[in-house]
Amino acid sequence: MLAYVARRLVSGVLVLLVVSMAVFALFFYGPADPALAYCPETRCTPERLDNIRDSLGLEEPVAEQYAAYLKGVVVGSEFRQGTIAIDCPAPCLGVSFKLRVPVAGYLAERFKATLSVALGAAVVFLVVGVAAGVLAARRHGTGTDRLVVGASLLLGSVPYYLLALLAYLYLVNDWGLFPDTGYAGPVEEGPVAWAKGMLLPWLVLGLAYATQYARFSRASMVEVMQADFVRTARAKGLSETAVTLRHGLRAGLVPVVTLLGLDLAMLLAGTIFTERIFDIPGIGLSALEAIDDRDLPMIAGTVLIGAAFVVVANIVVDVVHALLDPRVRLGS
Amino acid sequence: MGIQPAELAEPTRDRTPTRPALHQLRRDRVAMVCLGIVALFVLVAVLAPLITRVFGVQLDAGNPARDLDAYNYPAFGPPYDGFTWRAPLGISPNQADDNLAAWLYGARTSLGVAAAATLVSTLIGVATGLVAGWSGGWFDRFLSFVTDVFLSVPFLLVALALAPVLVSRFGADPERLQLWQLVSLVSVLSLFGWMPLARLIRAEVRHLREEEFVLAARAVGIRPGRILRRELLPNLAAPIIVSVSLTLPAFVAAEAGLAYLGLGVSGLPSWGRTIDQAVPFFSTYPLYLFAPVLGVLVLVVALNLLGDAVRDALDPRTRHGAVS
Amino acid sequence: MRPRSPRGLAVALASLTALTACTADPGRRGDAPPELDRGGAAGAFKNPELRPPAPVPDDAADGGSLTVLTAESPSTFDPTQAYYTDSTSILAGLVTRALTQYVYDPDTDDMVLAPDMATDLGRPNDDNTEWTFTLRDGLRYEDGSEVTAEDVAYAIKRSFAIEELPDGPTYQRTFFVDGRQYRGPFRDGEDYAGVEVDGNDLTIKMRRPFPDMDYYASFPAFTGIPQQEDDPATYGRKPLATGPYKFEEYEPGSRLTLVRNEEWDPATDPGRIQAVDRWEFRFGQDTTRLENVIAADNGDARTTLTYDNVSAATYRSMQEDPDRLVTGTQPCTYMWFLDMTRIEDIRVRRALGYAYPYENAWRALGEIVGVTRVPGTAILPPGTAGRQELDVLGIGGRDTDPERARALLEEADAVGFEVRFLYATDDDGRVAEKDAIVKGLEAAGFEPKPVVSTVDTLRTDRTDPDAPIDVRSSAWCSDWPSGGSWFPAQWSGDLVGLEGMPNPTNFDVPEMDRRQDEILDTMTPEQAAEAWGEFDRTLQEEYYPAVVTGYGGVAMIHGSGVGGMANDNVRGMPTFARMYLAQ
Repeated sequence: MLAYVARRLVSGVLVLLVVSMAVFALFFYGPADPALAYCPETRCTPERLDNIRDSLGLEEPVAEQYAAYLKGVVVGSEFRQGTIAIDCPAPCLGVSFKLRVPVAGYLAERFKATLSVALGAAVVFLVVGVAAGVLAARRHGTGTDRLVVGASLLLGSVPYYLLALLAYLYLVNDWGLFPDTGYAGPVEEGPVAWAKGMLLPWLVLGLAYATQYARFSRASMVEVMQADFVRTARAKGLSETAVTLRHGLRAGLVPVVTLLGLDLAMLLAGTIFTERIFDIPGIGLSALEAIDDRDLPMIAGTVLIGAAFVVVANIVVDVVHALLDPRVRLGS
Repeated sequence: MGIQPAELAEPTRDRTPTRPALHQLRRDRVAMVCLGIVALFVLVAVLAPLITRVFGVQLDAGNPARDLDAYNYPAFGPPYDGFTWRAPLGISPNQADDNLAAWLYGARTSLGVAAAATLVSTLIGVATGLVAGWSGGWFDRFLSFVTDVFLSVPFLLVALALAPVLVSRFGADPERLQLWQLVSLVSVLSLFGWMPLARLIRAEVRHLREEEFVLAARAVGIRPGRILRRELLPNLAAPIIVSVSLTLPAFVAAEAGLAYLGLGVSGLPSWGRTIDQAVPFFSTYPLYLFAPVLGVLVLVVALNLLGDAVRDALDPRTRHGAVS
Repeated sequence: MRPRSPRGLAVALASLTALTACTADPGRRGDAPPELDRGGAAGAFKNPELRPPAPVPDDAADGGSLTVLTAESPSTFDPTQAYYTDSTSILAGLVTRALTQYVYDPDTDDMVLAPDMATDLGRPNDDNTEWTFTLRDGLRYEDGSEVTAEDVAYAIKRSFAIEELPDGPTYQRTFFVDGRQYRGPFRDGEDYAGVEVDGNDLTIKMRRPFPDMDYYASFPAFTGIPQQEDDPATYGRKPLATGPYKFEEYEPGSRLTLVRNEEWDPATDPGRIQAVDRWEFRFGQDTTRLENVIAADNGDARTTLTYDNVSAATYRSMQEDPDRLVTGTQPCTYMWFLDMTRIEDIRVRRALGYAYPYENAWRALGEIVGVTRVPGTAILPPGTAGRQELDVLGIGGRDTDPERARALLEEADAVGFEVRFLYATDDDGRVAEKDAIVKGLEAAGFEPKPVVSTVDTLRTDRTDPDAPIDVRSSAWCSDWPSGGSWFPAQWSGDLVGLEGMPNPTNFDVPEMDRRQDEILDTMTPEQAAEAWGEFDRTLQEEYYPAVVTGYGGVAMIHGSGVGGMANDNVRGMPTFARMYLAQ
């Protein structure tokens, strides 16, 4: 097991390296001069432009910039701007072009908002999704089943960003049914303010994901409920509920775990639409702004963090899968 | 949500003949209705130029000086006046373009891009999966690594950053910009959609490789290429069809989402772009927003329902009449 | 990088709205376009005698909190590096005082240059090569320590450290003694010949005459920064407050919270009041969201405002509540710069001025005529000292006249003259604008040849001196309301052929260069102001090197509980210094 995890970790690091190279290449062989973004044309003189280009370190050859970046990730780095130095402790993901602050620290701050959204939504979609799926499986073939399937199909077909946008525009703005969304730190401003601002995003994001979980757990439970060991339990006289919950669930939810791991990783990487529409200053939104601002270190940072989450999640999920289901052999 | 449908994690083990599946499909009323809807959309997309002419409207022919009031809102038709045949869905603020024409051509873009991206990603996925599953060894490990890399990257971010680069790098001739934007959009979608299928196909091929009939064929000396083509591919038809039925609606939704974020094909009308332009007018001119929203919604729902029915028909576990 | 217009100042400027006090009746459909009656030489006014304290309006509640929402986010709050109008406006209005400041005059709806930390607007010597400012007594930082002239001198020296602090204004390098040699206190130490301190007196020495020093001294870079408190890497996270508010919390890119600075003494400040308790700035907001929130005016939204320009969708609904809409201009002029090396006949250039389809092009871009783009005829925008209300073509900067254009072309024997111009094919608005321009020019007898580019590469293409184009569409914004920040930057012969095309028309007329030098080097500020106005007129009458395609405008919305919000037309931002909660 340990050897497997180690191998996967090494492979994961390689993946991250490739991703970071791709981001650098993307940026540098891209079209326009990034310095232009920091020198609005109505007040830009060539001297200013040169100055900015210099201060962003864009004069160095790409390979050198990349090597310096890698070094920073491992041992930390120091950014010199003339005679002043900005300390960037390991893991140093560079210093933002726009805000001149170390990217890692900045993203760590913003991560709190993303985490709040992700966890809350996860609770919603797990509870609602799995419950709906199990319910539908229990009443397989009846009206309830069709209702659940139909509803989740319909809801799941709406492009997510439309769902979020319309939910915000109507439920908060027009009809005032929900409090205004946004992030309020649970420690700084109290858990009530935090929950109020997150309520609609949790519900919308949670419901959107719940559709998948409902359908998946339903399908999985239907299959499991027909398996031999469940029939045995039923034959032994256990109530249907006990059969479902005690025996069926454990086996039926194994695939759900897989899904959960990957979805959580994606959520933690920051859902751009959710953050933009509901005004949650998380990682996804910083990424969007960074692309707008041509802020390479920020772009690289958010992409790498997202990729890291997915890599780790993949490993964790595979390991958990193996632990839960002895039939699965790792590394096959 | 997203381009990585979870259902593909479970490969369909049995080789399913397609004839009983088609039979079941034909009897499924919901599926037939959806098929009809999809066919209608396809028809609209193909005949868009004809339909716009029938309605007497034109694409991108707005005359802002003539047709807009001082606030850049339409001077005739919705939202301030009633329905008019001059512009059945109204005209757009700011540019005064006809919304019906934009909707019809938007259907074309959405379906076209989604179809092209589905085709490309299916081809890449199948090819990769076949090669990886068949060859094994370090080649397989390498391809799996590549698959992992692509799976790890946050799609949206890279899409946003990548597409303009593709355009300016390879679309050096600005006259062909539209073509290159189209290529870049389809590429970006395909690049992030082939992985689940590749994994699936790889698993299937590895399983099939050890089957008796394949071992026999190899023992006899039939070339691998021929085996792949004649023995394996037919057995992969089911998972491929399932994959297509899942990715098509996902790409329609994704294209609209990307257009909303600003990554569309300029000059080519698209539902996503119209939605993006219409959002600020949601309370003052709701028709402008809801026409494309409904378009995306109905198409995606119909495709999803149809895909579900296809899956049910092909999967022996849910096929009617199969022993449960 | 994205096919649609990128966010940022460039677009913020391109989608500005400006409306004068006279608007059409806010009925369901506006048929009559709003009138333009803004003239004004605002900001031109200087009042060295303005005395503290600033008057507090009767309806101002004491306390409360104002929230500011914006889609943008300022890149820095380091006073030395503050250059863009959002940073400078927030710092100058609320947090860091400078030697001089702009104060809003409600009678003229204009900004007036008045003393801030200095006792007057500075005293120049005869040829404007030496300026002396005297600091008031009783100025304190937020920690109670005294602000000294040494601190301001240090701040000035700090502004030369362009490697450590790269983003700020650079006029000191051009005008101050040793401007190009001194590299700031971190490298070259404290010894700097351009600044002298004697008690409360601060003397700045120039290497060439700088009549606009009093304007320049309003930049946050001229605040007090105690040397021992200065850590250049982090000073911008919490600059020391000399104004009525200080930093409480700042998350770059996210939010800024300001609270009362108890050490600020209103008896020393003629321009600011301290009515509210807190200011909450929230950056990076979604535009539709924030507009809808403020327009709805529910609950907290009553004390919320934005300095982003309102979009067309919301502008219309705000017509029913005009008190919550603040309009005005920004000191930015949009122009079609005509390349004088390619269009050599002035008649052809003038013909372009008659032929340009002003209204159609503006509408195609999504501009609301008279609101988001204000028709203009002088290069100097409203609010500039000495500006003349000139109209060399006689068409008010908006009434396209293809017949007169054609007549001129015939006279010059240039019918069918090819006009090549760039446009971004991946931006709907720009494509529609291009179509309008093509139609307009054709109607006048030109042969327009649009050249394809993309949003990403447009700027690079346009600033390439060898690009195969004859006109360049761009804008210029001034840093202070005087011609001195307009003409030398773009219309000097020695800028021709430089990389980046700082002189977009390749304007190279030795007589006009001489005139510029004369104005800069020999005149008093009052004479100079008038002279620049004349220069504008001469430039257009005798050379007509550019078609003025309007000024930028401002239209900002606020909740019903926000008081004192007017347009600072030197920056195009709210007049933060005088705002309060209305009872």
